[in-house]
Amino acid sequence: MRHIVRRELLDHLTSLRFALTTLILVALMVTNAVVHLQTHPERVRKYSENVSASHTELKSRTQLYELLRKGPGKLYKRPSALAFIADGGDAFLPSKTVSAGSWTRYGSASIWAMGVPRLNMDSISNLRPTATVIDWVFIITYLLSFIPLLFTFDALSGERERGTLRLCLANSISRPALLVGKFLGALITVLIAFYFAVLFNLAIISTESWTQLGGADWGRVGLIVLIASCYAGIFIAVGLIVSAMTRESRLSLVVLLLIWVTVVVFMPSTLGTLSTKWMPSVQTHHQFRMARGKTFDQIKSDFLNKRETLRERRQSTETSQAEVAETDISELEIQREFVSKDMEMREQLSREHLAAQSAQVLRARQITRCSPAAIVQYALESMAGTGFNRHLHFLDSSRLHIRQFRNFIVEMDRADPESLHIIGIRKGMSEKPVSPAAIPIFQDKLTFQDTLNPAIADMLLLILLLSVFLAGAFLVFLRSEV
Amino acid sequence: MFLTLIRQELLTHLMSARFFAAVIITLLLVVANTFVLIGAHEERLADYSQKEAVNRETVAATPAYSVLKLKVQRPPNPLSLFSAGLETRFGSDIDIAFDSVPALSDPIADIKPDEEYQWTFNRVPSVSSPGAPLGLKNPYLHLFSQIDIVFTFQVVLSLLSLLFAYDAIAGDWETGTLRLVLSHPVGRGSVLLAKYLAAMACLLLPVLMSLLLALIQCSLSRALQFSTEDFLRIGGIVLTTLVYLSVFYLIGLLISTITRRAATSLMLCMFLWVVLVLIYPNWSRSALNPVGNMRAEKRSADRQIAQIREEADRERDRFLENSPLRGDPPIFFDTFDGTDFFKGGGWYRGDFPRVNVEIELKNTADPLVTHLRRYYEFAATLHIQNAEKVSLVGEQLVAQISRRQARWDERLMKFSPASLYTFATAAWAGTDLDSMTDYIRAAQIYRRTLIDAFHERDAFASLQWFSTNQGTVDWSILPDFRFERADVSINAQRALPELLLLVFINLVLFMVTFLIFIKIEV
Repeated sequence: MRHIVRRELLDHLTSLRFALTTLILVALMVTNAVVHLQTHPERVRKYSENVSASHTELKSRTQLYELLRKGPGKLYKRPSALAFIADGGDAFLPSKTVSAGSWTRYGSASIWAMGVPRLNMDSISNLRPTATVIDWVFIITYLLSFIPLLFTFDALSGERERGTLRLCLANSISRPALLVGKFLGALITVLIAFYFAVLFNLAIISTESWTQLGGADWGRVGLIVLIASCYAGIFIAVGLIVSAMTRESRLSLVVLLLIWVTVVVFMPSTLGTLSTKWMPSVQTHHQFRMARGKTFDQIKSDFLNKRETLRERRQSTETSQAEVAETDISELEIQREFVSKDMEMREQLSREHLAAQSAQVLRARQITRCSPAAIVQYALESMAGTGFNRHLHFLDSSRLHIRQFRNFIVEMDRADPESLHIIGIRKGMSEKPVSPAAIPIFQDKLTFQDTLNPAIADMLLLILLLSVFLAGAFLVFLRSEV
Repeated sequence: MFLTLIRQELLTHLMSARFFAAVIITLLLVVANTFVLIGAHEERLADYSQKEAVNRETVAATPAYSVLKLKVQRPPNPLSLFSAGLETRFGSDIDIAFDSVPALSDPIADIKPDEEYQWTFNRVPSVSSPGAPLGLKNPYLHLFSQIDIVFTFQVVLSLLSLLFAYDAIAGDWETGTLRLVLSHPVGRGSVLLAKYLAAMACLLLPVLMSLLLALIQCSLSRALQFSTEDFLRIGGIVLTTLVYLSVFYLIGLLISTITRRAATSLMLCMFLWVVLVLIYPNWSRSALNPVGNMRAEKRSADRQIAQIREEADRERDRFLENSPLRGDPPIFFDTFDGTDFFKGGGWYRGDFPRVNVEIELKNTADPLVTHLRRYYEFAATLHIQNAEKVSLVGEQLVAQISRRQARWDERLMKFSPASLYTFATAAWAGTDLDSMTDYIRAAQIYRRTLIDAFHERDAFASLQWFSTNQGTVDWSILPDFRFERADVSINAQRALPELLLLVFINLVLFMVTFLIFIKIEV
């Protein structure tokens, strides 16, 4: 068997296709690295500028009430150091949280609530022609599927045409050994070219201190390269299956190319939008705002009724001083209820609106996983810390931070004995200045686990596909006539 | 003999399994994508008519001239089914306002600080560019790219034409049939031509079949209606498709003639296809940016616009010096504080204080009312002038940055025939940059006619300009807006450069192939 692998390798490595493959892969990987070197520093600079501006603004607030009313400032998504691996539509996905709007009415003011983060529509609706970013995802999903087919389409059918297959099997070589030899020969050839290009890419990226990778990043890159190898293996197995089934290598190539076009080029996008046709439709932004307005009106009229009854009671009865003070406090209580209910309502509706949208996207992505190209794309995005999973993770961690931020305010207020502890109303809250150092600061962290967890299912799926197709290749080849 | 050759070639192609498989896949992809695209189009159309209705209602309920919030829309283009181009990426809503002129894009938006705009009186908006893209209720679905029919042809059929061509000469040469054919009294040129014509006829078949299927699907949906002109445009798209496929066939033929070995020819063809169709267009767009980010130009334009606004502010202050009105425009609280001039509270509407004022007047005989009227007339004229001055700067900037950048991208991408094809079909379908410019022009002209209509009515100086209780406003003076797509001849004109370039490539390729073919030994 080792003999076969060596022969196959020698055959492939000296062929024209290997030279062309290496050339294209290296050219694309170098482009990718150079573009990353040019764009990444700008991204990081913008992020840190934004974050420091947001911090300064936050630290300038010393009143607890102001902190509550203006919120934790804008929370920004940290750009991934591995953005060159998977772009993931990050230019389009929201990069920061926004507030759900504010108002001042009836002597009270709204307190900060997290709203629906804005998508950057400018990234789509500019005048420049559309194009896919040349990231690793592009290179891997398109080329590491196309090239394996070119190496395998004539692996069996070509030998059968020339009669060398019969010759080979006449020797004491078993069919499985031959197949494994062919598989490994093609896989190693493709991977040699790919690894070579990857080394080029990483070498260029490591030259600049701005873009140097940390320890965990290297681990991620390693896993990504493994995923890519597995993906190439799948297409080599598919190539062997079709090659074993057809008598003519020309036909085998046509069938493979058509499978490739459908699975790699069309399925990831067409299936995604096609599947949403049969999903329950989501609220449009307009409907969402209408619904929010309606709920707000309800809360508002509730509040006005309560206040009215309170005021009537105050006017109708002859009241002592203590009672006046008490009704004042209960008016504050009613205001607090109004303000906090409104905040919860706005936050909840935004969350539900987002959740419905995300659920649709996630389901559509689930269906596009019929295509290994989509699986690889999602796995790589998760590993690189970009794309939709990263977006969901960012939202989760911002929500966590907002909870902590509110707890901090409540606790600071509780520590002040002079405060009325009515959270949400200026008069009801502590007026002691807060030390800027104590205010919790949002840190957007992405641990290795955070990136690995969503990718594990995709990785397992890829391994499953690889073994299924390999088994298929064995079955087909064992039963085929030579 | 020539006819026999064609017939024989046709038969071998048509009976081959590769042709059959390719046709099935093309039809499948076209049908699936058309289904998605028709759904998206219906959504856009529903959105369009709903917005129209909402706009009409908003206008009818507007109590005073100055608070008119007018929006215009573009009806969705049914030909975006074939070539989406900018149509689905480019928004449709444009605000028509006195104090802002519609523009194709707002190139200085990205140098503004990352704050929500803090509008003050100085910061009158200058540019109202179309907003979010059309269609798709759930904007996150833009993460999946939409595929139009032209893209299907561009990818699948170009692959098929290469597969027809790679062994046309090399294969015949290897099997020896070429020698056999040429031993008959037939010229080498006619052999080449026969192969070419037969292949083109075979390629036309899937194009026409999928077109037919797509049109049948469209006729089942009531939302899509094609006019006669649209059919001419579709004809243009089919023509361009043929010319495009012919380029790829000739590339294959050339390689096949040069290499003389089917296996080598195949490899070269495949790699060339990947580079031309998949890699190069994306590579040139994302790796090359010959225009740069133009930060300096943007900053200087921003300063220029700020100067224009300051100038306008100064002029306003000069006007107010000679007026008894005191306080901050546009409400002048200080003047009216304590008088029974207004009724109610919260007098102006709009996101920022500009010329939008909405007041309930109690006492129209008050001499201050005349001053107020004069001021508002002055302010409206000032804002209109200001907006036009700013728009001049803006237009220049759009030409200098956004449009130049887009043009450069297109130029670079056009080194690949696949992109030439994309741009030519977008021009035919009316979804290219020029067509979007047409739309902006139409909106600009509409704004002018609107202002003229207001002038005719003397609306700027009237009480109804700012007060809500001086009788209902007669909104029938509003001219209707309806955007008509450009004429077919104009579409053809716009598609012509790319089309001619494709034809030229064809000719060159054919000549070269012919010259090499008559020289080779068989």
